[in-house]
Amino acid sequence: MILIAAVAMIDSRASALPDTTGKFPGGLGPGFYPFWSAALIAGAAVVVIYRWYLAADTGEGVFAKREAWTAPLKIALPMIIAVALIQWLGFYFVTGLYMGFFARFLGRYRWIWVVVIAVAFPALIYLSFEKGFRVSLPKSIFYQQGFPF
Amino acid sequence: MDILTGFTSTLGSLAGGFGTALQPFNVLLLTIGCFLGLVIGVLPGLGGTSGVAILLPITVFIANTGPGGATSAVIFLAGIYWGALFGGVITSILFNIPGEPWSVVLLFDGFPLAKKLGKPALALTSSFFASFIGAFIATVLFTFFARALADVALAFGPAELFAVFIMSFATLIGLGSESPAKSVMMIGFGLLLAAVGFDTITGAPRLTFDRIEILSGIGFVPVTIGLFGMGEILASAEEQGIGFVERLSAKVGLKDIVETLGELRKRIWTVVITAVIGFWFGVLPGHGATAGSFLGYGLARQYSKNKANFGKGEITGIMAPQAAADASAVGSLVPMVALGVPGSPTSAVIMAGLFIWGLQPGPLLFIDHPDFVWGLTASIYLGHLITFTMCLLAVPLLAKIMHIPYAIITPFIVIISIIGSYSLNNSMFDVFITITFGFVGYWLRKMKYPLAPLVVAIVLGDSTERELRKALIASGGSPLIFVASPLAATLMILAIILLLLPVVRNVRERRARPATADHAA
Repeated sequence: MILIAAVAMIDSRASALPDTTGKFPGGLGPGFYPFWSAALIAGAAVVVIYRWYLAADTGEGVFAKREAWTAPLKIALPMIIAVALIQWLGFYFVTGLYMGFFARFLGRYRWIWVVVIAVAFPALIYLSFEKGFRVSLPKSIFYQQGFPF
Repeated sequence: MDILTGFTSTLGSLAGGFGTALQPFNVLLLTIGCFLGLVIGVLPGLGGTSGVAILLPITVFIANTGPGGATSAVIFLAGIYWGALFGGVITSILFNIPGEPWSVVLLFDGFPLAKKLGKPALALTSSFFASFIGAFIATVLFTFFARALADVALAFGPAELFAVFIMSFATLIGLGSESPAKSVMMIGFGLLLAAVGFDTITGAPRLTFDRIEILSGIGFVPVTIGLFGMGEILASAEEQGIGFVERLSAKVGLKDIVETLGELRKRIWTVVITAVIGFWFGVLPGHGATAGSFLGYGLARQYSKNKANFGKGEITGIMAPQAAADASAVGSLVPMVALGVPGSPTSAVIMAGLFIWGLQPGPLLFIDHPDFVWGLTASIYLGHLITFTMCLLAVPLLAKIMHIPYAIITPFIVIISIIGSYSLNNSMFDVFITITFGFVGYWLRKMKYPLAPLVVAIVLGDSTERELRKALIASGGSPLIFVASPLAATLMILAIILLLLPVVRNVRERRARPATADHAA
């Protein structure tokens, strides 16, 4: 947080102080607001660190347990891979694969149900968004060849 | 005597409005509108504004060929607006994904009550009842005071609005049991995120680091979906384990409604007061409704006996902001009808409809087209009653969503989160923002930082800066404008008192602690 504040303060330092030359309307430049927001973060961070120092205990850290990062990672990795694949496979193929993956490997569903889930969900979303409300979602590389999605 | 005459005249006009709104064709349109609005509100990425905009072309046909003309058209659009308001609540409570800016505040207590405390039906019915009461109070105020209030709202300039926004932040400092310093840090972080992109006054890029995608700024919707929707999925994977299946009671009967009514009775004054506050904030043109819902939540928390339960599924934390948000939505129609100034993005689209149907919104609307104004007013009462009934009947079905197996509901929430953030600007960058803030949200949760002040700051940050700078431009750079008018000075003093309250409370507690310890020794 202190690092974010420092970067923001450096980036917006040019017009951080009220302007008296009449260069900016109202006397505030574009850097005033981000600079002092970042200063607020930095000031509060100092207080938080001071209080943490006063109340420092030798207890276990919040990320010390292996599950604290392995369990979320098992969910996060397929999510990241799915989002990365959207630009090539499009939203609907990725939705089918992603839903099917969870149904098979977490839900232990039979293959027939995996296929039903992988087809039904993207179809439902396609009909609601593309057809019903005319909301266009990312298409696959096959879209240019005349494939509907 | 004049007041009595005015009162009876208004009641007479309202009775005429009910005569118009209750015509079978208008009731049918209102019911269809409410249902479509509910569907639109539940779907991610579509809110009241986009729903009304999508269906605006249909209203031209209704206005030109329908038996009720423009009145039927506005009744249909208003129905969509009320339906979407209720629909947005459902996604907030059941999926932890906000529909509209003013339903963001429901994430703080709605989802925890539904999931962590295992009471989805209570969370939903509480919110629906609060919505209905908030909207009813607001509609009564709309009926009798619309024109007078619209004039008063004009007295609210940038300085007054800036003070109101500061009040919204102040009520959230020290939220939950966390230290005020952590809340302040989160507010600073939210303000900083809101500042990213083009400066609205000078047009200069800020904190963009020469990246084109960031020039338009970081939207609060992708951030909020990430912090709450994705962050919750990651957190529950660790806390409850992957594959965790909810074991909640999905049976909803008369008992649940009686329980909700009991809870409502205990909080009725909070709901009434926050509804009045919400209505007033809705009347203020601009971002009144969002500020109203946050302020409603903050004030309810400040004066609640169960302060420590806020953020953990406290029913007041659902009822108060929901009453304020629905009242705000009704209030946002006041400046549109009475002044011709839209009070919210959705009312701006409805106002565009008025122009298309050949009507001129403003004070003359009451004189030239009384049937239209009173028909719309009566339809607000009816529309909320219809939507409320629909929602209440659907609660058992909605509550069963919480029983859907983990292997289906988890990827489904991820998918609708992606749709919600992508469809905002058709941008994959927003999806990356959502994923990134999913991790940020998880980390902040683990480190016990409150998320509510961060969200409030990112939602209201832009408007706060704009009003601050507009006020200073108007005063030629003099900060005295913030205390120049009695209204601005009062609001600013109130904001400062609210800001200092947590600090004073903290100092008092610290002083009391050694004394108690000595006494105990």
